[in-house]
Amino acid sequence: MGRTTKRRRGARGAARAVGLAVVAVWSLFPVYWALKTSLSTNAASQQVPVQWFPTHPTVVSYEALFGAGPQAADAAGGIGRSLVNIVVETTGATVLTLVVAILAAYAFARLHFRLKTFVFYAVIATLTLPVYATLIPLYRIMSNLGLVNTYLGIILVYTSGFLPLAMWIMYNMFLALPKSLEEAARIDGASTLQAFARVVLPTARPGIAATAIVTFLFGWGQFIFPLVLSSSNATEPLTVLLAAIDSRNVPYTIINAAAMVAIAVPAVIVVLLNRWIVTGITAGSIKG
Amino acid sequence: MPYAMVAPLVAFIGALAIYPTVLTVIEAFVHLDPLAPPTHFAGFGNFRDAFDNPQVRQSLENTGWYTLFGVGLTATLGTAVALLLQRPFRGRGVMLAIVVLPWALPGVVEGVIWSWIYNPTVGVLNSVLKSLHLISQYVLFIGAHQVETIFLVSLVQVWQITPLAALIVLAALQSVPAELYEAAAVDGAPWHRVIRSVTLPLVRPALAVATVEALVMSLNIFDQVYVLNANATTGSSVMSTTYFITFQDLNFGEGYALSLLATVVTVLLAAAAVKLIYRKVEY
Repeated sequence: MGRTTKRRRGARGAARAVGLAVVAVWSLFPVYWALKTSLSTNAASQQVPVQWFPTHPTVVSYEALFGAGPQAADAAGGIGRSLVNIVVETTGATVLTLVVAILAAYAFARLHFRLKTFVFYAVIATLTLPVYATLIPLYRIMSNLGLVNTYLGIILVYTSGFLPLAMWIMYNMFLALPKSLEEAARIDGASTLQAFARVVLPTARPGIAATAIVTFLFGWGQFIFPLVLSSSNATEPLTVLLAAIDSRNVPYTIINAAAMVAIAVPAVIVVLLNRWIVTGITAGSIKG
Repeated sequence: MPYAMVAPLVAFIGALAIYPTVLTVIEAFVHLDPLAPPTHFAGFGNFRDAFDNPQVRQSLENTGWYTLFGVGLTATLGTAVALLLQRPFRGRGVMLAIVVLPWALPGVVEGVIWSWIYNPTVGVLNSVLKSLHLISQYVLFIGAHQVETIFLVSLVQVWQITPLAALIVLAALQSVPAELYEAAAVDGAPWHRVIRSVTLPLVRPALAVATVEALVMSLNIFDQVYVLNANATTGSSVMSTTYFITFQDLNFGEGYALSLLATVVTVLLAAAAVKLIYRKVEY
């Protein structure tokens, strides 16, 4: 290997390091900035030029958000309830989506039945439907059923939206599993259902985890559907409350604290479970 | 047995995805006023009303800009990030998590934290630009100029969806056989040639998928517009205009017409993009 090649390699390594540093700053800075603002006093957050680090960090904005401390009157209130709402709605939709998607994906991947191809493609085709296609009718259907501003209504709507992708990911995961496992179980006398429950599900656990995490993150990020279908105090998720706080005259330190509360859960998921997110995204978009 | 396993899925998709879509198609051609029944057939009346509405025309143009910025930036940045992450290095797992983070956050939250960055009187973007002497005094970024507003709102969405494009392209990059790179190295091909002649053709299908996803998401941009632009016409998108016309002005007819139009455009563009960019890869 010649000298120039080596030097070129070194230059390329340095260029890549710079590139990676830029990407890291680009990804992290907005979140850091919200965190820094949420930990600053109101006065410090508005200094010109800006302070890059919180010199005297304080949690007074977080206290205010949850109705305590000296600034409690500045916050709009309701964040506790909206946190409960977003957890209930997101978890409910994730569990329901998983159960329905796993059953159907297994049938599509392994069993034979009439109209299979037609039904499969009809479901997959709804992946391309934008929010526009269903938003107004869903509002009218849900009002007629009395399900506007109820957990059940929003969970059903979320589930119908998340199902095609979840089913698609699980379908690809099941296709990738070796058939021999089930065949062995069947030879040992297990029924289809038993083979599915005792052999397939445990083996597919990584795929199920990936689907669950991606679905949960979708649910956590929902905005226009709950804005239309679930914006009462009793059922509005954190995202809807955050947009409302943002449009009111609430100090930016408190708004950023509320944003950090909404960021915390997905951020922890990314830190601890990123491997599954990557698996889920890749399985959902590449195969086929 | 298979029918029982598929039935719940069919019920959900049928009742809450396909049935509402059919309703949208029908009701776009119906005169419908929730406060003044009865409803009657309106032909293209709703579409005419929509196109006569200057708010709607502006939002159509704006959405063109959103799509241009969204698709262009996401595809370019996504590919660049994927190329940076292609080869193994120490800390790659951590770097992947850093890259994925914006994708995992709610669009509304992103709008909120970026609106603080863009703040006209005390924002960090103003502070940085001023200290670099790129601006002489603090400026109003959002709402002053159409294309500038759209670019900055679009940038927030690009921040959110670039990780998706990067991961999709990265997965394809990692399936490119190493011998191809070795052959290129033996031939003494420079790196930009390798990217252009070896890498890009082989990741073309993945790039098509990433582009289509960016296309659909930027055509449907809403959360970031809702937070950063509210209902101003400067940076309105078709989706935000549809929302305000339908649920604030309660003009369901125009709302349905716009919804149907946008649905058809989204589905057609997605299909065309796949056809145009997707070609079968042969190693």
